[in-house]
Amino acid sequence: MTDFDAVLQSRGLSRYHGQGESLVRAVDEVDLDVPAGQTLAIMGPSGCGKSTLLHLLGGLERPTDGEVWLAGRRIDHLNERGLARMRRRSIGFVFQNFHLVEELSARENVELPALLAGRSSRAARRRAADLLERIGLGDRTRHLPWELSGGQRQRVAIARALANEPLVLLADEPTGNLDTAATIEVLRLFADLRAAGQTLVMVTHDERVASTADRLVSMHDGRFVGDTRLAGGTGRLGDLIGLDG
Amino acid sequence: MGPILLVFRLVLADVRRHPVQAGMLVVAITAATATLALGLSMHGATEKLYRQTREATAGPDVVALSPGTDRSTITALTSLEHAPGVVAHSGPYRQYYTKLTAHGSTGAAVVQVADMTPGPVDRPLVTSGGWVRPGGAVVERGFATAMHVEVGDRVTVAGRSLPVVGIAVTAARSVYPWALGIGPNGGPTDGGGVVWLAERDTRALVSPDVPVTSFINLKLEDPAAARTVSRHNPAIAPAFEGTWVSTRPWQGISGQNFVMLRDSQPILVVGSWLLSFLAIGGVATLAAGRAAKQTRRVGLLKAVGATPGLIAAVLLTEYLALALLADAVGLTIAHFTTPAIVNPSASLLTTTTGPSGDTIFLTTVVALGVAALTTIGPTLRALRTGTVSALADTAHRPRHRAWLNRVSALLPTSLLLGLRLIARRPGRAVLHGCNIATTLIVVSAMLMIHAQPVKGYPGSPMATHAQTAQARHLLLAVTAAVIALAIVNTVTITWAFAQEARPTMAIARTLGATPGQITAGLSAAQLLPALPSVIVGVPLGVQVFLLFNRGDAAMPPGWWLIAAGVASLLATAALTALPARAAARRSVAQTLSAEAP
Repeated sequence: MTDFDAVLQSRGLSRYHGQGESLVRAVDEVDLDVPAGQTLAIMGPSGCGKSTLLHLLGGLERPTDGEVWLAGRRIDHLNERGLARMRRRSIGFVFQNFHLVEELSARENVELPALLAGRSSRAARRRAADLLERIGLGDRTRHLPWELSGGQRQRVAIARALANEPLVLLADEPTGNLDTAATIEVLRLFADLRAAGQTLVMVTHDERVASTADRLVSMHDGRFVGDTRLAGGTGRLGDLIGLDG
Repeated sequence: MGPILLVFRLVLADVRRHPVQAGMLVVAITAATATLALGLSMHGATEKLYRQTREATAGPDVVALSPGTDRSTITALTSLEHAPGVVAHSGPYRQYYTKLTAHGSTGAAVVQVADMTPGPVDRPLVTSGGWVRPGGAVVERGFATAMHVEVGDRVTVAGRSLPVVGIAVTAARSVYPWALGIGPNGGPTDGGGVVWLAERDTRALVSPDVPVTSFINLKLEDPAAARTVSRHNPAIAPAFEGTWVSTRPWQGISGQNFVMLRDSQPILVVGSWLLSFLAIGGVATLAAGRAAKQTRRVGLLKAVGATPGLIAAVLLTEYLALALLADAVGLTIAHFTTPAIVNPSASLLTTTTGPSGDTIFLTTVVALGVAALTTIGPTLRALRTGTVSALADTAHRPRHRAWLNRVSALLPTSLLLGLRLIARRPGRAVLHGCNIATTLIVVSAMLMIHAQPVKGYPGSPMATHAQTAQARHLLLAVTAAVIALAIVNTVTITWAFAQEARPTMAIARTLGATPGQITAGLSAAQLLPALPSVIVGVPLGVQVFLLFNRGDAAMPPGWWLIAAGVASLLATAALTALPARAAARRSVAQTLSAEAP
């Protein structure tokens, strides 16, 4: 069943809401293989099921039917505890609205996943400092989320998602709330991650962002309607019209 | 639309949107005002019931008693018929101090010789059955209630079995169990009740072993002058020469009635303050839980041109109106329950007695005070918040507590989450702590009362000490009310915590926190403030008891108090587990979507 080249897979993955005439097929029998190190962009109109698919892949929602495999292990039938442990170790989430904990500083936000994973306070702090330094926010570690710009907040959220060195980074409209300059900040960070071999699945409605990926999947009414390989996304950021920073 | 109508429409709409919260507010304040009204009404109500009973039974203004039945005694008593100010009398009669047995229980009894047709003074009111006839006994209602005697039952008086033909009330004696009217400091050492028998039926009681006294009931022209009918009055003193006559003015009888409630009043008044405190805690939690929505509402009202005065009126009117409603409900409850509480032995005529003007004023002040104390702060904060930031919901940013975050990073996940939740709303944690401490004060006081030896009456071993029994019953009722309110508060506070912490907990779950860790974190946020409350609440409860206790107090076994503390912690854990678990099981995706602008 599993293809061990793919770090993340789904087979017949479905998520339905309602019953009878009011049945909504948010995600409808989706088959997906994401090889390790690939940056996958999922595009589609609002309400086509992109975010639901991402939630299903990350175990935030349970499928109505189908399977999800992560690193060769089936995860869709895990209980909540098992899913939480899987997220803790193998998945990093990035959201459009950042979802940083308001009363925690940038460093404390980044520390949190490591603390939840049972790492020592010192190790968690060191890891957070390294990550914030890597994303260029070494001088903002004590700032609270509302004291940071949108781009900086999203970079903190990405650092937090990377805290436990996840196998896959799932990003839901990561630039949806950002202006052009902040979008470039985030995309540069993603480019660095891709260069470092990080697997990334991102949902976006922005073609310019999608064009930086290795592969683009289009969705409509819960189904995949297109799957395109993009030639060499790395290093193209500066060439993107309207995104020159 | 006039501004007043607009205010009421907005208030009504808000109450309709939050009916459970409005209901909880009313219940919390009602508990406090009802208890306070009961506590404050007690003294006046007992006296009022006695006055009503006096009127209905042509109660005497003075009862004069003398030991013995000899000629000089009767002469001394009958001479009082002509004392200055006396306008009517009945007697002299004899009364025997003996025992009454019914249903296997024996109690001290004062058997009075009764006229077949009562005289003009002291005409006991028959509440069941009929009046005395030869071969039939009438038992005073309080005594009958204590002995579980009804009309048709048989009682044994001085070895002779008689049917009970009637139950009656009288104002010529203090309420059961103080019919004997003897004992130090106005309080009897023997407890007993009155039995009326025909003269023929009392002949069997004549014996050197049965004490007997004679008494006469007097009616005065001026009842207020009853205390002047005594051996110290020069106009009367000559009649008492050569014999001993003691006089009981009606004021003394009435005062003795309140002895039974002497321990009850502080229980109700202190209980009402504690309930008020719990009500403040509960209402403050509700108000704080709604603060963010309230601020947004203020922003909307400002944006559409409402003046600060109108906005303040909208925010305050709701709570003040609900507080007044709760006050009215509390006073009504007190109105109907006061007679049962102030007439515990059923010896007085029970009619409803309304709270006095002072009581109504004080309970209204408390009700409005609770509402104002808990809503003025959030109202002022909402008014001071700028329109834009109110609409953007940036007015309620939690404070960054770096030291606490540092300390909590060293702890296991559930404690880490719990401490950080407390840090978000430290005021609420304090309220929760006070909630637990208040409950333990009352529970500890109750344990102290139950640790005191149960006093009986030498003549009536079956009857527990009436004062103690009354105090225990009331404390049990107050404790039940406090525990009920504390449970509601604990669930409310946990739910408010869980609601507010929902986004943070959802984020923690995306980062790998399990539902179990979230549940444990929310429970820890409640249990941590409960710990110091237990340590403080138990000794405070003991001190409160000692403050109102007369004489030496016995301490309960240490394990009782420790068990109370442990039980309160376990109860808190159990009460918080349900809302915490419900919150932890909520879909992360839904929560995060709901947070999206």
